Amino acid sequence: MELHNFKKFLIEKGGLFEEDFFQIQSFIQTKKLSKSEFLLKQGDICSHFFFVEQGLLRMYALNEEGKENILQFATEGWIVSDRGSVYFQAPSTYYIDAVEDTLVVMLDEHFIDQVSKVNSSFRKQNEHLLQNHIRHLYKRISQLLGASAKNRYLNFVSMYPDIMLRVPQWMIASYLGITPESLSRVRKALAEENFKPHK
Amino acid sequence: MKTRSIEKVVKPGTPHFVGDGFRVHNFIPGTSTMQRMDPFIMLDYNSKYNFPPTDKPKGVGVHPHRGFETVTIAYKGRVEHGDSAGGGGIIGEGDVQWMTAASGVLHKEFHETEWSKTGGEFQMVQLWVNLPAKDKMSPPKYQAIANAEMAKVQLPENIGEIEVIAGEYEGNKGPASTFSPVNMFNVRLKKEAKTQLTFPAHYTTSILPVEGSVRVNEVTDVLQDHFILFANDGDTFTIEALEDTIVLVLSGEPLNEPIAAYGPFVMNTQEELVKAFQDFNTGKFGYLED
Repeated sequence: MELHNFKKFLIEKGGLFEEDFFQIQSFIQTKKLSKSEFLLKQGDICSHFFFVEQGLLRMYALNEEGKENILQFATEGWIVSDRGSVYFQAPSTYYIDAVEDTLVVMLDEHFIDQVSKVNSSFRKQNEHLLQNHIRHLYKRISQLLGASAKNRYLNFVSMYPDIMLRVPQWMIASYLGITPESLSRVRKALAEENFKPHK
Repeated sequence: MKTRSIEKVVKPGTPHFVGDGFRVHNFIPGTSTMQRMDPFIMLDYNSKYNFPPTDKPKGVGVHPHRGFETVTIAYKGRVEHGDSAGGGGIIGEGDVQWMTAASGVLHKEFHETEWSKTGGEFQMVQLWVNLPAKDKMSPPKYQAIANAEMAKVQLPENIGEIEVIAGEYEGNKGPASTFSPVNMFNVRLKKEAKTQLTFPAHYTTSILPVEGSVRVNEVTDVLQDHFILFANDGDTFTIEALEDTIVLVLSGEPLNEPIAAYGPFVMNTQEELVKAFQDFNTGKFGYLED
């Protein structure tokens, strides 16, 4: 298996070198998921971080009426997990499933330990990723509390440029915390503002 | 004249659905790359398939394109098209829809409402023809080409006819306007009839018998729905009908330009692809209701 994206991730974000790979290869665990297959369900204890090599995952919660609220999408090169459940060994309140057929690299403490033995900078880089994730969550909370629907949408597509082509509108609306009708209005208004037909 | 040999014969692979209205076998780029098939960058073939009657037309919802042309050739069934540049129409059996996405359109395509109510046999080819770099950002355009507008050349001794959609056959020009030399014909032959076709050797040339099986270059028998790619070692090949046949013939001059492709955008560089996504996401392709 090539795992091109995972390799790129370990080099660019994990501080590893090309020559470190043959030493860590035996610790790499992967999992293939079909569309709609689950990696995590409410009540499970999450034991891994999921790196998306190919495909698309989403993490969501069900509200009191059984409606899905999407917290995160993960496309190629992204990691998704219920970090709280992993760290505290507590039952998860979230679901993670595949929006497309997906190839996942399964990361756990053991993997992090082993890679850190091969290259000591990995643990520090991993912490950097965690801090970055927290920064991203702050931004997301602040957007949900205060930003206009248009602003949320523009932020979202700049972060996930190809996602409008990969997931249905209602999932995007769910992520943005707006109704599908409101998302439609935002996109229509943007087109009115930016579309310049050829004369 | 030198015989153009067969490079490969590809049998139709496992079909997949595009939206819920097109059940297709992919030949380009699935079995031959965009680079090899230049200027043809995608070919999906909906072999004959029966759609049951429905009140809710099946098809593909709003999606974007930039950098190329989409060509739909209807053999059976009827489709309805609409786009954000104001293009739209209905095509039926024998017609062709030629949409130049160029700088960008949103479009949707569905089985025609009335046709959907009765359903029936559906058979289409959808092809993407690449645009030269200089034309990729030109204005979108839509050509609905009715079968009656196509040049029809009767073959000697009443053995069949050649329908010219684009390009030229013995001085008879097809109605479609193209940005680079492209020949697109439907060759209709009666059983046991034989004809020969000549295109410049360097043109990317392939055929797809959509009805009936054929014998190619006197020796190779090819079944209906199989895709035949010719080598570039000659200019002429022959088709002999083993039964009454319709053969789609494609021959185009390669553009020989770099290709950067992602989903519905086909550009020349990565930067242009990133720009295509930004423009699409920020409404620069216009708006089209679902």
